[in-house]
Amino acid sequence: MTLLEVQGLTKSFGGVTAIADLGFDVPEGQVYSVIGPNGAGKTTLFNMLSGIYHPDEGSIHFQGREIIGLQPHKMAAMGLSRTFQNLQMFFNMSVLDNVMVGCHLRTGSGLFSAALRLPGVVREEREARRLAREALSFCDLERFVDQRADALPYGVLKRLEIARALAVGPKLLLMDEPAAGLNDTETAEMQRLIRCICERGITVLLVEHNMGLVMRVSDRILVLDYGTRLAEGTPLEIQNDRRVIEAYLGGEVQYAV
Amino acid sequence: MKRLRGLFLLTLLVVILPLLFPDNYYVTVVAVSAALHAILAVGLNLLMGYAGLISLGHAAFFGIGAYTSGIVTTRFGLDPWSAMAAGMLLTGTIAFVMARPILRLKGHYLAMATLGLGIIVQIVLVQTEELTGGPDGLGGIPPLSLFGWEVDSDLRWYMLMSAVMLLVVWLALNIIDSRSGRALRALHGSEVAAEMMGIDTTVTKTGVFVVAALSASLAGSLFAHQQAFISPDSFNFFFSIELVTMVVLGGMASTFGAVFGAFVLTFLPELLVIFEDYEVMIFGAILMLMMIFLPQGLFVGLRDLLRRLLQQQRAPAPAPVVPAGEDKHDAA
Amino acid sequence: MADQILQFLLTGITVGATYALVALGFAIIYNASDVVNFAQGEFVMIGAMSAVALSAGDGGLPMPVALLLAVLITVGVGVLLQRFAIAPARGASVVTTIIITIGASIFLRGVALLVWGKDIFALPAFSGDAPIHIGQATLLPQNLWVMGGAGLMVLGVHWFFGHTTIGKAVLACSCNRTAAHLVGINVGLMMLIAYGLSAFLGAMAGVLVAPITFTSYDAGVMLGLKGFAAAILGGMGNPMGAVAGGLLLGLIESLSAGLISSGYKDAIGFVILLLVLFFRPSGLFGRASVERV
Ligand SMILES: Nc1ncnc2c1ncn2[C@@H]1O[C@H](COP(=O)(O)OP(=O)(O)OP(=O)(O)O)[C@@H](O)[C@H]1O
Ligand SMILES: [Mg+2]
Repeated sequence: MTLLEVQGLTKSFGGVTAIADLGFDVPEGQVYSVIGPNGAGKTTLFNMLSGIYHPDEGSIHFQGREIIGLQPHKMAAMGLSRTFQNLQMFFNMSVLDNVMVGCHLRTGSGLFSAALRLPGVVREEREARRLAREALSFCDLERFVDQRADALPYGVLKRLEIARALAVGPKLLLMDEPAAGLNDTETAEMQRLIRCICERGITVLLVEHNMGLVMRVSDRILVLDYGTRLAEGTPLEIQNDRRVIEAYLGGEVQYAV
Repeated sequence: MKRLRGLFLLTLLVVILPLLFPDNYYVTVVAVSAALHAILAVGLNLLMGYAGLISLGHAAFFGIGAYTSGIVTTRFGLDPWSAMAAGMLLTGTIAFVMARPILRLKGHYLAMATLGLGIIVQIVLVQTEELTGGPDGLGGIPPLSLFGWEVDSDLRWYMLMSAVMLLVVWLALNIIDSRSGRALRALHGSEVAAEMMGIDTTVTKTGVFVVAALSASLAGSLFAHQQAFISPDSFNFFFSIELVTMVVLGGMASTFGAVFGAFVLTFLPELLVIFEDYEVMIFGAILMLMMIFLPQGLFVGLRDLLRRLLQQQRAPAPAPVVPAGEDKHDAA
Repeated sequence: MADQILQFLLTGITVGATYALVALGFAIIYNASDVVNFAQGEFVMIGAMSAVALSAGDGGLPMPVALLLAVLITVGVGVLLQRFAIAPARGASVVTTIIITIGASIFLRGVALLVWGKDIFALPAFSGDAPIHIGQATLLPQNLWVMGGAGLMVLGVHWFFGHTTIGKAVLACSCNRTAAHLVGINVGLMMLIAYGLSAFLGAMAGVLVAPITFTSYDAGVMLGLKGFAAAILGGMGNPMGAVAGGLLLGLIESLSAGLISSGYKDAIGFVILLLVLFFRPSGLFGRASVERV
């Protein structure tokens, strides 16, 4: 089944066309990767999918519903969550609180019941804390629960962002360069984590420059070049695609698959 | 309960002070305005410290509350408690309407817009003379009474004002330690990420703006009934700035810090009076120096210093732990 | 009616020219250091007050000398402010810097209060009080001084940033401090120049307008707020936008004072400012920025 369906998507900034007439389908339950050189428009694509940017043209269907024009928090409510290329942590909060923010939609008390701390609120807090801890331990972060987010190393923050996104309880998780800046061990852990997320039934849309990781982890790959679709297929197909090899990889292809 | 330890200590302090120093001017007069300022600062701190939204016009809501109470009781003969409710209703409505367009603005533009709002309200208070008494002020506002208990002495005002302050602190602490409070802090940390976690940032901003305005209105009504006379000067730009300074002195994003800031800034001018002509200058200098050397606020600065001293005594140092709801970090 | 409106326009341009100079000062400091300097109005006050003090009485200095010294004193204050209050707090948050500059403005006001007391002073007009008639409207020679002086200074600032190496260096610091430092620009010096220039503009506004509006130790407060409002109205990032904002605010105030109500003129100015911000959150001539994530 197709979870996400993109057609004729176009976005330009002033004179720069970041995404041009792009279409692709993301099947449910898979890891679907988007690759392309710097400036190809990958992050711009993510920003449109998550409702942060408004496309100039085109349509995006998520679970069969048109989602263009919905604000990001509505997208989250529909089951779409994401991480950011440049960390967008809540550095003013503890690790646990960061992830508890992710549980926002799974709890419902308002400002006034919170102010009076009605019994329901206390119960809900306990539940949110449980969900957050679960997401943290899934990402192997229990050790850091009580620390401040701004005291953590980069690699941990990358995983924390994923834990927070998972706490939303998404059907589709967009990950923008989760392995950027990680060392080899951390990258291997990240690869394992991505597969685990997928095995949980969460569809993953991945942007990543680490080709080895992409080839190992993806079910399908979309190659972007200057905002357009250059190729699409399984990792094997992509590795053997002439256009990809010429245009994107400059002719020399060596994967450490 | 660990969560409310600070509140417990504050309550203890509030109870002990008049027992130790009965009839002391600083307790029964200055501390009453300090408690009033604390109510205002704690509300503003939710907006500024936690949600990271600056307001240079908070005195406007204080003024609307005070004048509604004053006008409704003196001219329409309503009882003070209904007047207080009317004030909060009016203030809340104005805040609700203004929140959406104003809070879309960022940084200095937001600062300007809130400042403008404050000035507009002040001018309206001066100009609508038939209603407000204009620049000469409005007098004869009746005192409060609680089930026949007249709040008519300094000591009684001390009790009432402190009680309301403790209540407001409790409410604020509850808000911060909740889903809504986390939403506020998330907004401050990263607005896009907050949206992406499903937080409707527009609704959240509106909510905290209204809550801050309501607490200011409540304080305004109390102020009007306590003073019996109000004039527009009490609600001008400088008072808005004073409130902001209280929050910043308290370290932003710390409720007890805001209370502390309110007390420092209320007592400071009282103490500077001895410098007579030099008072204004010294006040300005102190403000500058504190902000330059303790940009994270006096309260947090002192607290961290104390912690460091304590830690040196019992090494090894424990891992940094965040107390619930206390943000030291300020990324405005 | 037409004559009346002409009169309001002339008054508005005079007031607006003062606002424009203050707003320009705000914009320059904001662009150079990301600080909104709430002590900008105090520059105006110090300029005017020291000119009065230096020229007054029998032993007073001749007017041009007094004016020059007054402006120099203010520039000195601006430089000291940068050096001792702003520079040590580099990297502080928006709110912190706002409070530092507000503290500075209170401090300067306190000093003025000590030195000059609470009295209101006037500076003699530069070239007499004989009114000039334009149709039914009248104008004082001092109004022409204000308009002409402000016009000249705006052109001068424009030229400074567009055509001199130092001006461009100041702008470079505002774009990227580190890069400016790496290409050998003395960033600290450039900051001093920016604050000095702003103080200069404030002092000039002060001495030009003091013969018309009088001055006192707290004359800078409202002017500072108006200047900030004008700079925001025009769009903070754009110095010439700030000038336009100043003129516009002056005209709005003068027209609403004349046609609607003098008591509400300030309120009307701020209402229009709010409305502008609601529809253009970055001011009239500011560029809207898309936040990148
Ligand atoms: N907010 C914006 N305003 C103007 N131009 C933008 C904006 N966001 C992206 N662009 C431009 O759109 C193009 C695509 O950028 P995008 O960030 O989507 O690339 P990317 O594929 O994510 O690159 P990278 O691999 O470096 O992250 C670039 O030319 C970029 O400069
Ligand atoms: Mg990118």
